[in-house]
Amino acid sequence: MPDLTKTEETEPVKAPVAEGAPVPPADPAVGKPRSLWSDAWSDLRRSPMFIISSAMILLLLVIAAFPGWFTSLSPRDSDMALYLQKPQFGAFFSPEWLGYDGQGYSVYTRLIHGARNSILIGVSVTVLVTFVGGLLGMLAGYFGGWVDTVISRITDVFLGLPFLLGAMVILVSFETRAVYVIVLALAVLGWTLVARVMRGSVITVKQADYVMAAKALGASTTRILFRHVLPNAVTPVIVVATIALGGYISAEATLSFLGIGLAPPAVSWGVDINTAKDLLRNAPHVLLWPGLMLSFTILAFIMFGEAVRNALDPKLR
Amino acid sequence: MRGAKSAKWVASAIVVALAATACGGNDSSNDGGKGEVDPNGVFRLTNSEPQGNLQPANSRDTASGQVIKGLFSQLVDYKKDGSAELVYVNAESVETEDNRTWTVKLKKGWKFHDGEEVTSKSFVDAWNWAANIDNNQQNSYWFADIKGYEDVHPSKGKPKAKEMSGLKVVDDHTFTIELTEPVTYFNYKLAYSAWSPLPSKFYDDPKAYGDKPVGNGPYKFVSWERKKKITLERYDEYQGPDKAENGGVELVVYNTLEAQYQAVASEKADVITQIPPRDLPKYRQDFGDRAIDAPMAGVQSIVPVFYGDQWKLGDEKNAKLRQGLSMAIDRKTITDKVLNGSRVPATGFVGPNVLGFQEGVLGEVAEYNPEKAKKTIEDAGGVPGNKVHIQYNADGGHKEWVEAVCNNIRQNTGVECIPDAKVDFQTDLNTRDAKKVKSMYRGGWVLDYPVNVNFMRELYETGADSNTGFFSSKKVDELFKKGDSAADLDGTVKAYQDAEKELVKEMPAIPLWYYSTQAAHSKKVNNVEFDLANFLLMHKVKVVK
Repeated sequence: MPDLTKTEETEPVKAPVAEGAPVPPADPAVGKPRSLWSDAWSDLRRSPMFIISSAMILLLLVIAAFPGWFTSLSPRDSDMALYLQKPQFGAFFSPEWLGYDGQGYSVYTRLIHGARNSILIGVSVTVLVTFVGGLLGMLAGYFGGWVDTVISRITDVFLGLPFLLGAMVILVSFETRAVYVIVLALAVLGWTLVARVMRGSVITVKQADYVMAAKALGASTTRILFRHVLPNAVTPVIVVATIALGGYISAEATLSFLGIGLAPPAVSWGVDINTAKDLLRNAPHVLLWPGLMLSFTILAFIMFGEAVRNALDPKLR
Repeated sequence: MRGAKSAKWVASAIVVALAATACGGNDSSNDGGKGEVDPNGVFRLTNSEPQGNLQPANSRDTASGQVIKGLFSQLVDYKKDGSAELVYVNAESVETEDNRTWTVKLKKGWKFHDGEEVTSKSFVDAWNWAANIDNNQQNSYWFADIKGYEDVHPSKGKPKAKEMSGLKVVDDHTFTIELTEPVTYFNYKLAYSAWSPLPSKFYDDPKAYGDKPVGNGPYKFVSWERKKKITLERYDEYQGPDKAENGGVELVVYNTLEAQYQAVASEKADVITQIPPRDLPKYRQDFGDRAIDAPMAGVQSIVPVFYGDQWKLGDEKNAKLRQGLSMAIDRKTITDKVLNGSRVPATGFVGPNVLGFQEGVLGEVAEYNPEKAKKTIEDAGGVPGNKVHIQYNADGGHKEWVEAVCNNIRQNTGVECIPDAKVDFQTDLNTRDAKKVKSMYRGGWVLDYPVNVNFMRELYETGADSNTGFFSSKKVDELFKKGDSAADLDGTVKAYQDAEKELVKEMPAIPLWYYSTQAAHSKKVNNVEFDLANFLLMHKVKVVK
């Protein structure tokens, strides 16, 4: 692994010998040292999967941030006269485009406004999980001994809980379920995977020469952890987290579908799919669009994660 | 009914409470299955698993209610066509001079299915047993009118007596019932299945009896395969007017309403008594002339709670606010579209097809008028907090219409309206009992007895047990009192009609729509009719060869 992280690790070494002596280039054939990240980036730029998925994600982010740019209606504007009206495919991006649902809401407007909660939950859970799981995994991996034993056993306990069942049990005990409650519920059950990956990765990295070198030079534990270990161990975590992001979005939809996730008046694709299932026989379009939108979003994030993994994982090169 | 908990608030958009019978009737479907009728044909009715056992005074769920209706006949019954005309079944007559002491004469020659004769003792002992607090019967509150009920069913402690002093056996076929206060419509109450007679064998082992009941009704019990089916067979020596026109019934258990629907649609079963919400838009197409719409007597309302700081008693402006909210609701469109025509917009507080029902009592208060709604609310100073919550149970198929009502209120009056879902009906009731409803709750009510009193006294009288909105009005209470002390049934009904008019001024609830029965049957049967509480009149069903 050390060969993947030249710039990262040469830097601290450089400090003590800064005067005069330039660091010898690790590989004389290449003029400029290339990091794992710049390698990965040049790979990614050429990957069609990455370009398509990141374009989709970018669009979703814009929709989530500025739903007003895409539709003039509010998701709670109801007109019963338009009850279950069929889609008008000619009328692009207007409220009647994808038809109306059982409350006289525009399906298209609900799709646009539903993006925010889905993305917000997906991203927040991922960030939280990466942070908490990453930190615990790193501590367990680096210190080993009793710290590792305690953290690993706790991880095992949480890993033993079935993800959705656990989330259901947690959420049922809440009277009102706001976005943050769902984020916390999913994060509480989701951090274990990241912790395990991080622990394994740290164990490999901590035996590397440059970590030994830093130790020998008297660097503090914090410095070693955050300057040397973390940057070199974080790659698999990023991959796992990006792929899991799609899973969290679908978990939110699943919970909302079961009626224990977000509740109206909150707008979410899962909520809309739940409402639409009873109308399936006479108005399938109401179910189709949020379902499609959800699938595309999850697909986009999984493709993105996949592309990042291909670029970062040396074994796949 | 004091001492009883939540007599029969209705859980579901589709009805889940057990209520009184109705007999006779004319409408609903007589077509469908064609061909020669087989008088010994057996049909299959979709049902769910009864909760607990089949002791008649302990049954509150529809599944056991339907079975008990086949196994037992009551003293009286009434017609369901709105005339509520009393029909004598096991009784020769039920008479009174002062509405306080009632004399019951039984028909002679009636026998239980095991051959024991039905006598005065069969009724009196059964009622004493059911009313006794030690026997823990869910329907014991039905006997609360009888003198001496307090002795067998004290609100605290052990019963002081085993028998109610108001019940006296005169001879084998005559007995008298003395009430604590006159009740002009007491004979109608006797139609409810809690008043069933019991054979002496019952007392040997009431629990075992509940698993294998013996009654006096048109059907006798054959077998109960738990969670599969209950089989009933025609009782050939039956003496009553509602003799079965088929050979028997199998009440087959299905776990969901959707599965019941599938079973009947694919001819695996013959009658379904409720159409699941999912299939409401299409069931008329699926079943054609075998789809049934039948009248019921029940009202769906939203009920404000008067213990919070939003709704105030005896405050005219505050009542105007509720009138304004009522005018903001487009009942016609919601019943037509969201509820697929399965409900009828309400125009009063009392359900249809009962004595004293008045059409249009609410007048313009029940008419959709967004401008007037907005103006009325503004003139009355606006809803405190400019926000209302409507609490409902999420397990009863109410979500869609509550949201639609909320959209109406929000868009037409500018008052924010939040649907407040409680996981299930029990949680919803508990929240009501704990006085923790935020603003308003959904309240569905289906008749116990076919008199308008049933829709008012138990809901809006100060301190009434089911008055969980804690409405209280001196004027209304006085009108109720006047009705209770009237000389005859007519006087009672009239006084309560006046009370209903007074309720419009006070708006203790916002009536939304009346319930009705949606059902369907297979090609194998015809003559499928229902009573006013959504129970199938099993004896009328004819099976085609």
